[in-house]
Amino acid sequence: MSDYVLSVAVFVGIWVTLALSLNILTGFAGQVSLGHAAFFGIGAYTSAILTANYGQSFWTGFALAILITGMTGAVLGLPSLRVRHDFLVLVTMGVNFVVVALFKYVDFFGGAMGIVNIPAPSLFGHTFRGGAPYLILVWVYALATLGVSWYLSKTWTGMAFNTVRLDEDAAAAVGVSVPRFKIYAFAISAALAGGAGSLYAHFIGSVFPDTFVFLESIAILSMVIFGGVGTLRGPIVGAIILKAAPEMLRFVQDYRFTLYGALLVLMMLFQPMGLLGDDSWLWTKLQRLFRKGS
Amino acid sequence: MSRKLFLFLTLIIVTVMLVGCAQQPAATQAPAQEAGGESQAPTTGGETIKIGIFSPTTGFAAADGTSALQAAQLAVTMINDNGGIMGKKLELIHYDDAAKPDQAASIARKLIEQDKVVAGISGSYSGATRAAAPIFQEAGVPMISAYAIHPDITKTGDKIFRVGTLASVEGRVGAELVGSVIKGKRVAILTIDNDFGVALTEAFKAHAKDLGLDIVLEEKYPLGETEFRPIIGKIKEANPDVVYATAYYNEAANFVSQAKDEGLNATIVGQEGYDSPKFIELAGPAAEGVIITTDLNRDSDRPMTKTFLEQYKKTYNEDADMVGASAFDAVQLIAYAIKTAGSTDADAMVKALMALKDFEDVATGPFYRYTPEREVVRPIDAQIVKDGAFHFYHEFTDPDLITP
Amino acid sequence: MSWMQNLSNAMVLAAIYILMASGLTMVYGVLKVLHIAHAAVYTVGAFAGVLIYTWVGNFWLALFLAMVISGLLGIVIYRGTYFYMLDSPRTVPLIASIGLYVMITDLLQKDFLMGPYQRAFPAQGAGLPRIETRFFTLTPKQVLILLVAVALMALLYVVLTKTRIGLGWRGAAQDREMAASVGVNLNRVISLNFFLGSALAGAAGVLVGVYNNSVFATMGDVVSYKAFIIIVLGGMGSLPGAVLASIILAVAENFLVATVGYVLPRDAIAFLVLIVFLMYRPHGLLGKE
Repeated sequence: MSDYVLSVAVFVGIWVTLALSLNILTGFAGQVSLGHAAFFGIGAYTSAILTANYGQSFWTGFALAILITGMTGAVLGLPSLRVRHDFLVLVTMGVNFVVVALFKYVDFFGGAMGIVNIPAPSLFGHTFRGGAPYLILVWVYALATLGVSWYLSKTWTGMAFNTVRLDEDAAAAVGVSVPRFKIYAFAISAALAGGAGSLYAHFIGSVFPDTFVFLESIAILSMVIFGGVGTLRGPIVGAIILKAAPEMLRFVQDYRFTLYGALLVLMMLFQPMGLLGDDSWLWTKLQRLFRKGS
Repeated sequence: MSRKLFLFLTLIIVTVMLVGCAQQPAATQAPAQEAGGESQAPTTGGETIKIGIFSPTTGFAAADGTSALQAAQLAVTMINDNGGIMGKKLELIHYDDAAKPDQAASIARKLIEQDKVVAGISGSYSGATRAAAPIFQEAGVPMISAYAIHPDITKTGDKIFRVGTLASVEGRVGAELVGSVIKGKRVAILTIDNDFGVALTEAFKAHAKDLGLDIVLEEKYPLGETEFRPIIGKIKEANPDVVYATAYYNEAANFVSQAKDEGLNATIVGQEGYDSPKFIELAGPAAEGVIITTDLNRDSDRPMTKTFLEQYKKTYNEDADMVGASAFDAVQLIAYAIKTAGSTDADAMVKALMALKDFEDVATGPFYRYTPEREVVRPIDAQIVKDGAFHFYHEFTDPDLITP
Repeated sequence: MSWMQNLSNAMVLAAIYILMASGLTMVYGVLKVLHIAHAAVYTVGAFAGVLIYTWVGNFWLALFLAMVISGLLGIVIYRGTYFYMLDSPRTVPLIASIGLYVMITDLLQKDFLMGPYQRAFPAQGAGLPRIETRFFTLTPKQVLILLVAVALMALLYVVLTKTRIGLGWRGAAQDREMAASVGVNLNRVISLNFFLGSALAGAAGVLVGVYNNSVFATMGDVVSYKAFIIIVLGGMGSLPGAVLASIILAVAENFLVATVGYVLPRDAIAFLVLIVFLMYRPHGLLGKE
């Protein structure tokens, strides 16, 4: 694999993780968020500051990025207890703007100059910034995120998320603590995105506030919905297609975002459940194919 | 709307994607001389010297990315029309990075591995440039940052050069301009909230202190701001005789027009961010009397500056801006390095650039030399807006002032 | 500068906010769709305005035609996309809307349309006078914006309260199914509603283009979220709420900047206000449960 393909694969892996983590919040617990890039950013900055400014190792930075972002997620999830639906969408959007503004205006976060010279991870004395080891690291983490998602969807927590998504009042009536599970969902989703942020920061080697803006949140949510919200396969496929699309569409040069937009519109028009959503054309076909085969 | 229609449309898009992937090698048959084209790709394999450039030609930064690409392409065309280098034609390969670090990081690898460029140019912003620089450095391919100003870009390693003037120099010259040339006493500072503004202001303040300037007000504002009236009110109360306002031409045009509306009488001093014909077009008469520091002297009689300004206008039917001039010079520098080294060997090219002396073949020149930190030493101009155009105002050549 | 001058400047800003947000409020009122593509309509309006102005040189004609074009674009967007998504989860039209916004702004940036560079919109104040009083000054451009905003809002008020169209709209805004069952032609009401809302967005685009003397493809980026802050503060779908929210936000932003400066960027301040406010009133200023 060439370094170029490797590098694209690393970014696709990071965005698959982001899509999967948002899916826990939006797909499982039904809390639509347009601020996921904030958690991505908090993870990236946590890891960047710890390693570049305080000399910690990548692994410490990575672990603390997950932990701290998860805790921040729990706190920033608190508004979801007060506001619902489209109001919540706007609040998450607002959180994104405020977080980016803090990165930019508070000197501790490097301000406008960002954080540079973020070291590459090392293991047993080997340093790897690019190359296959980093790719493996990223995809192992993506798999771990998938594992967490799968586990959640199978356990009581997952079922509680389901009831919160479908009908909050009914959930409360049957004894599910809606606030608790909303905060859980925010915390888990944020923590996983924080890890993705750390992997991003150490791969690029520098972080700037502008990477984690609202537009990135839009892109992540699009991946989840495009692939099929609430499923495990959907966000993965959505992220792979939409993150790789701008690279694959390079030959149309300046028209790649026109096509990207058209792709989103067409998918929502004809397959509102997403490419691989539960009642989607492709998924039905695939299932039939699979059943015939077995 | 039926399912069939969906399948049909999806099929079209997928086919377009696949055909595109398959066509990528074929697309590289387009002649390189076609200025203004999108993908500047080779005539025939092996005959050309490839230079890579990434710049944002889509998204919010498309204006700068397009200027950079067009000017770089102009330089390549001009060099090729004069017979190329060492009997070979130059070829410019461009990818759009949308000013995003992750895209720039992938593009840098693509340029190095697939396109086998001998040198790279960043026509993009600081974040993207900083992400691409280590990849060029590790691959041992020289890269020149055209106008990204983050101080850490060139610290990446010995293969990374810069065309633009370091903000620490430009800010210092700005203070000198205010203190010694305009002879201002009371200064208000307005800082745009990105690396460009912050770095300029820091340098300005440091030198302003040496000159004994009285800083009566300091304010920061967000990139893309269009409503400056409340802040102008504050500036008026502080009653400065000079406002040092870091901005790009869009913010600058709004600030300058609104300052005029609100009756602010202080002289406004800007920097290369203002240096676009768009600034004068958008600000109109309010731009008159604004003084900026820049590398591009539009009244210069240096042949290369004149040629660049004329040819750019002729080719693209737009007046050239500072961003374009920097990308143009990046190509000129690479061409010079290859010519002097007599090869496309990276170390030889780097050596040639480090030994560069009083280089005249650049639009933003002359380049006296490169410092060991690969920052350029050049005279810095002050330009004033008069009768709807930038004109020469002052030139700073004091080595203490212009050496990074 | 006196606080009166600050206030008059804030009122002009509020007028722009009102035009940006009122159209969105109308659309949200009946469809409950997070219509991000509203910002694309705004940009198209500005672009149409500057083109027509350059051709014919008459600002009022340019404004009128730009509003018509924007209005038609709104209908096309509704009939082409949202119409098919009325019963889908709320994320479906949201993503479609994002797709539309990306597509339209990217197309606008191409050389055969606007190109990547900014264009001047030198309509000045369309011949209106400068108003100078002892306490504040209004430039011709500011007079123009206040005038157009007040006129359009008055017109909208008449249409919504005194005509059958308005009755249908209010019915549909309260309960879509119920309105349909009592004989309101929903499709026509919604289409008309999109036309009016989008025409207002177009007017906002034209006025901002003139005010800042610049029109460019990504000028809608700010509107895409700013208009939402306003309609959420106002109570999602409440027109008087949106007007009130516009004024509060514009005054708060301007006075905060004028007194303490930019502690944080303008938009981050606006969002902070929004979040804190929603904690007290989760349904906005004039919103209902």
